Amino acid sequence: MTQSNVGKLKHLWNSVWDVFYFFFPLVRRARKSKVFYFISFLPVILAGIFKFSQIFTGHPRFEGIYIFSNMIMGFYLQFLILILALFYGTSVCSEELEGKTLTYLTTRPVPKSAIILGKYAAYTTLIALMVVFGLVFAFLILNVDDLLNFSLYKILFRSMAVLVLGLICYTAFFTMIGTFLKRSIMFGLIFSFGWENVIQYFPGSTQRFAIAHYLKSLLPTTQASEGFAFLLFRLEPTPPTLAVLILFLITAVFLTLACVIFSWQEYILQD
Amino acid sequence: MTIKEKGYTHWDGEFLNKKLSWLPITRYGIKLTFRKKFFKLLFFLALTPAVLFLAGIYVAERMEDFQFMIREGEMPDFLNINPAYFKAYFTNDYILFMMVMILVFCGAGLISDDLKFNSLQLYFSRPITKRDYFLGKASVIVFFLFFVTLLPGLVFILMKLLFAASFEFLSTYPLLPFSVIGYSFLVTIFFAFYGLFLSSVNKNRRYVAILIFGLYIFSDILYGIFFGIFRNEYFALLSIKENLKQAGAFLFAQKLPHDIPWFLSFVIIAGFCILGAYVLKKKIRGVEVVK
Amino acid sequence: MKPVIEVQNLSRWYGNVLGLSDVTLQIEPGITGLLGPNGAGKSTFLRLITGQIKPNIGSVWISGQKVRNNYTLFQDLGVCPEQDSFYDELSGWQFLTGLLRLYHLSKSEILAKASKALDIVELTPDKDRVIRSYSRGMRQRLKVAQAIAHEPEILILDEPLNGLDPLSRRKIIRLIKSYKEEGKTIVVSSHVLPEIEAMTKRIILIHQGKIFAQGDIHYIRDLIESHPHIISIKCSRPRELVSKFIQHDFILKVNFIPDDDSLLVETNNRDKFFGLLPSLFVENNIEVFEVTSPDDNLQAVFDYLIGQ
Repeated sequence: MTQSNVGKLKHLWNSVWDVFYFFFPLVRRARKSKVFYFISFLPVILAGIFKFSQIFTGHPRFEGIYIFSNMIMGFYLQFLILILALFYGTSVCSEELEGKTLTYLTTRPVPKSAIILGKYAAYTTLIALMVVFGLVFAFLILNVDDLLNFSLYKILFRSMAVLVLGLICYTAFFTMIGTFLKRSIMFGLIFSFGWENVIQYFPGSTQRFAIAHYLKSLLPTTQASEGFAFLLFRLEPTPPTLAVLILFLITAVFLTLACVIFSWQEYILQD
Repeated sequence: MTIKEKGYTHWDGEFLNKKLSWLPITRYGIKLTFRKKFFKLLFFLALTPAVLFLAGIYVAERMEDFQFMIREGEMPDFLNINPAYFKAYFTNDYILFMMVMILVFCGAGLISDDLKFNSLQLYFSRPITKRDYFLGKASVIVFFLFFVTLLPGLVFILMKLLFAASFEFLSTYPLLPFSVIGYSFLVTIFFAFYGLFLSSVNKNRRYVAILIFGLYIFSDILYGIFFGIFRNEYFALLSIKENLKQAGAFLFAQKLPHDIPWFLSFVIIAGFCILGAYVLKKKIRGVEVVK
Repeated sequence: MKPVIEVQNLSRWYGNVLGLSDVTLQIEPGITGLLGPNGAGKSTFLRLITGQIKPNIGSVWISGQKVRNNYTLFQDLGVCPEQDSFYDELSGWQFLTGLLRLYHLSKSEILAKASKALDIVELTPDKDRVIRSYSRGMRQRLKVAQAIAHEPEILILDEPLNGLDPLSRRKIIRLIKSYKEEGKTIVVSSHVLPEIEAMTKRIILIHQGKIFAQGDIHYIRDLIESHPHIISIKCSRPRELVSKFIQHDFILKVNFIPDDDSLLVETNNRDKFFGLLPSLFVENNIEVFEVTSPDDNLQAVFDYLIGQ
């Protein structure tokens, strides 16, 4: 690598960091984030309800880790990470166009790709924190009577990693969609709750066209309740290392595409 | 020079009795929705079940022409044209999902765009009341949802009568038209309140779209989790979809999908509408000139 | 003097609509005013020279470098956009310091530059209020502040005086003029002639996407002076007034509107006409109800110039 390339990369990194630093506090404080804080915190409330009901009925119907696994499958994987990634991912570009604030960013000495990457990093960090906090608290509440069982923590960390990986990957995809589609939300909803929801149950290689397939391949436990057993229907898991690699590859491809499109696409801010 | 205070003067007169002053709002909303590129495709997809069910009515009536498709002498259950057939159309997951998608398309921006572009003042500087405004906006949603509820329902009945060339169907199920009308109004009015309420909570149309869709899915997931753990049917009341299905089953006089009193779902639906109306009233008042 | 901004055969369409057509010009250091009625193509020109949009034909250079996707240029370029849009949930201070961070400055530099810019636009007392609560004028000043905060050599200001009260307007004009003294290059657009006139003598007239005239303000003024003006007068004895007008050769035509007791006077020397009018009223004891100039706007001047 030549010295000028190293210099360019260093400048890109610094710019990404600067954009991140501008947007992270902004999105953290944003009014629209409050609803998502609430939704992300709901598993903690649910965990509290389950635990209280167990205490009051006196006989635990299910173990805490069983409920936790169901939450991961039913709430996080099928809903929360999709909704968070969809909203924040498409926001990376769309909110600048809708708010007509794009000019403030594109008239600064930072590469356009740094704007995308910096905002993507800021938003992904925030939603990852939302998910992780909710998850950890819910886990602790659900397993309050078994906290010294260290094998459970392995499940927690693995679940956490899968969800964060899911957020990284989905947000990259939606960031890319947001850079060129005006109605990115519509497309995103159809992709998340249509394509992803259907294709993952297809047999053979077809299911490998869904991001959800790789995430499910990485999940630590397959003991879903009867209510959520269908989520593992026809799952032909990809080996974990390969699944992680593919998820990172998908992320890299989508982010690169987002940067390229954003650099070349022309955005006309209409009055 | 004496400076006199000149505050706002609130007009106390009465509007001319124009009964359809909300109509231009509706017409404009419908026109704007149809201008959206993907909406026509979505609308077409939402109408496909209606075409299939209509084909089902035809096949059931002309069974002798379709003997080759079925086992001899057996009439498939799903081709019995009765209230259950209508209920199957109105409360199937796909139709409800498409209704929510239509709502996302046509309902998300109805009020949020007005809030974003400060157009409320423009509306209320015309001789329209707040009621006209809501009616105009709600009618946009009602218009599109009637296309997948009331209209197909009535067409099914009409076509059944035409294919059979007798009124026997109506004499057997005299209450069916009322069920169709009742359920269509229930689900449409509910979604109108649901859409307008969420559209009024934020200026960002994308955010509202996520809320409309997210709340619908989320309520169902919540029911799934609670039911999965506690095995209690009452948790179906948490789900928008299950409440509509329960109400639909009751109106079509079918077996309820959940073993819980039917009226609870009606209470939940009505409660949501009242909450929506209250929030709308509060939200829209904020930008009017206060007396 | 070496030109700082050069554009060659610049053309831009929005679908079938012509935004800018075959513009070739050079802009030197100092203040250049871009004057034209609404929709003339001023903002399109400014968006093109700042690389916000791509030209269909032609090219733009700033300091000898291509503009599009050349982010390094913005180290020395400040842009004040036309849109009244902000990150509304930030305070003025957070907005400014956040954007200054994108210049890779040290923390102390960011703080110093942000304070200085806010001082200049007199927003320091309100710097901690959220932008959502700012008045239109304050928002406009903040927009100027973000353009000047990093002390650029080139400033592109799209209608910077919009929504400002007369006092703030004067201050911003003074500020822009002070940048000229420092040898900087400023391009400022407006549709109000006196605004541009107060800032610079060097102007570019733009109309229907074309550069209509370019040069010294006096040249434009002369064009405007030769433009026959129509003045409407409503008074008590219009017929008597008409008889007085015909003695003066700078009055070209008088139309009498009997229903309204008013006159439409056409003159090729506005200044002389308005010098004469009060004395005619006083000497002849004519009661005046209204004197208006229906075509006294930039669009009328442009229409006249094009017609010529």
